[in-house]
Amino acid sequence: MIMLVRLCIFLAGLCAGAVSAAEPARFDAGSLAKIEARYAGKPFILSLWSVNWCGHCINELTMLGKLSKHEKNLPLVLVAVDSPEDSEAIRKTLHKLGLNHAESWVFDDPIPERLRATVDPAWQGELPRSYLYDKAHRRQAEVGELDETKLKAWLKQQRQ
Amino acid sequence: MDRMNTVPAGCRNLARAAALLLLSGSAGTALSHEHAPLPNQGQAASAPSAKPSLAVSATVDARGRIWLARVENRTILVAYSADAGQSFSVPVAVNPQPENIGAEGENRPKIAVTRHGTLHLSWTQLLSKPYTGEIRYARSTDDGKTFSTPITLNDDGRLTSHRFDSLVSDGGDRLAIAWLDGRDRDAAQEQGNTFAGVSVYFARSDDNGASFQANRKLTEHTCECCRTALAWTTAGPAALWRNLYGTHTRDFALALLDSGRLQRLADDEWNIDACPHHGGGLATGGDDTLHAVWYTQGKNRQGLFYRQVKGDQMSAPMAFGDPRAQAGHATVAAEGQTVLITWREFDGKVYGAMTLLSRDGGAHWSAPRRMATTANAADYPIPLIHNGRTQIVWNTLQEGVRIMEVE
Repeated sequence: MIMLVRLCIFLAGLCAGAVSAAEPARFDAGSLAKIEARYAGKPFILSLWSVNWCGHCINELTMLGKLSKHEKNLPLVLVAVDSPEDSEAIRKTLHKLGLNHAESWVFDDPIPERLRATVDPAWQGELPRSYLYDKAHRRQAEVGELDETKLKAWLKQQRQ
Repeated sequence: MDRMNTVPAGCRNLARAAALLLLSGSAGTALSHEHAPLPNQGQAASAPSAKPSLAVSATVDARGRIWLARVENRTILVAYSADAGQSFSVPVAVNPQPENIGAEGENRPKIAVTRHGTLHLSWTQLLSKPYTGEIRYARSTDDGKTFSTPITLNDDGRLTSHRFDSLVSDGGDRLAIAWLDGRDRDAAQEQGNTFAGVSVYFARSDDNGASFQANRKLTEHTCECCRTALAWTTAGPAALWRNLYGTHTRDFALALLDSGRLQRLADDEWNIDACPHHGGGLATGGDDTLHAVWYTQGKNRQGLFYRQVKGDQMSAPMAFGDPRAQAGHATVAAEGQTVLITWREFDGKVYGAMTLLSRDGGAHWSAPRRMATTANAADYPIPLIHNGRTQIVWNTLQEGVRIMEVE
């Protein structure tokens, strides 16, 4: 119930186009299904990162932050694999990188393996890791930093 | 709200683990004596770094006592058990001033004990600028009753990444501490040059930790965020780390600190611009054979692997662990011909502490064995061997520190 309320507040925040980065929503075993349902029939980028230990993630988010300035309504879903205690650090980091409007989640499980398995059983935790979902939600996994040129080409392709 | 969710879980755990004198009330009491009372306990509890940590280190002294280091409220606590973990001594604080001690994921304080009972500790102090830290050291020469004032071992004076320390003692007066170091990368960037990865530096002591020689560089261009490992062979200390081959290939390398000659542990060909956050382990049974365990998702092999290294001779990589159970974070211990590997798996419901045991120097192995499970947060299991006795140490949120006999 609390989760539902939180989700509603979060979604309301998104719809209202909150001016400052919101507290990341709690990502649990059911969250990805909800995200996928919300993006039904639409492409989106699921990007997994960590605020605590992943320098390559910051490189990627810096690129995504710049990209989101030119690409209005970049369909980006950010999931930090940290824990709710890190919410403030996540919010601040995304704000600094120009991603304060991006949809932001944080892992909420003492066993992160459980959440990793809901995203992809083949994912062993390395970061950054992204999934490019097309309209039909056929998705391709990208291990390591996203390549900006490739990503732009993919976005262009999705609009056709 | 978040805090409220966390604290009772921690309290429940402490209550359950009260039987282990190490935890709960005794820890609080010991701290009060040391710091009467902790002046910034309230702040520490609300700081992000005060998140409860399960990361522990363990070692065994000549009397068979198991020494344990763990982190609570920005303080390293050291205690021993003389009865295989049934009870622990009153924990003693190592650092008198609270600091942000790396104790998440593969980060943890390291502890080693010499034949004569000196306790050595190293850890990474995380600084507020992201990915920066200092390598810290303290010792006890009075059986863990008091500890020396912590010192910073990295001597470059830079605010940069000094992290992922590892510590090894030769059992006598010699000691080596190695870590991942960003000084060369920063220096290159200041000159407008690019620099792939970071470097491995180390500090040596030949007088039981009373003093350290100047830092020395082992190698440049390594992966930035995996633990390092050390073992003391008859040819001196050897290090294992995730190296960078070219700018993308993150495969393991090892080297004797004295010669600095690099050997590639395996041609895994893991080519990624990413942080695996998943290192390897290294041990020796008191000879010149190294036992190495590591993790890769390379083109040529994927998962956990073991191999022996003796000079230029290497055994074939042996896969272990169930990749469907996200097997990972293996550690190895050795004594004579006994070799014990531990790692962690998650079967979809519970974490398992896994072991593999060899009594013939790694030529033949037992079947993998799940020693224990837990349904909540858990540290990685740690192998211990002493006088032929094989044990694992596993700290879990629900059960506390467990020490279990493998055989």
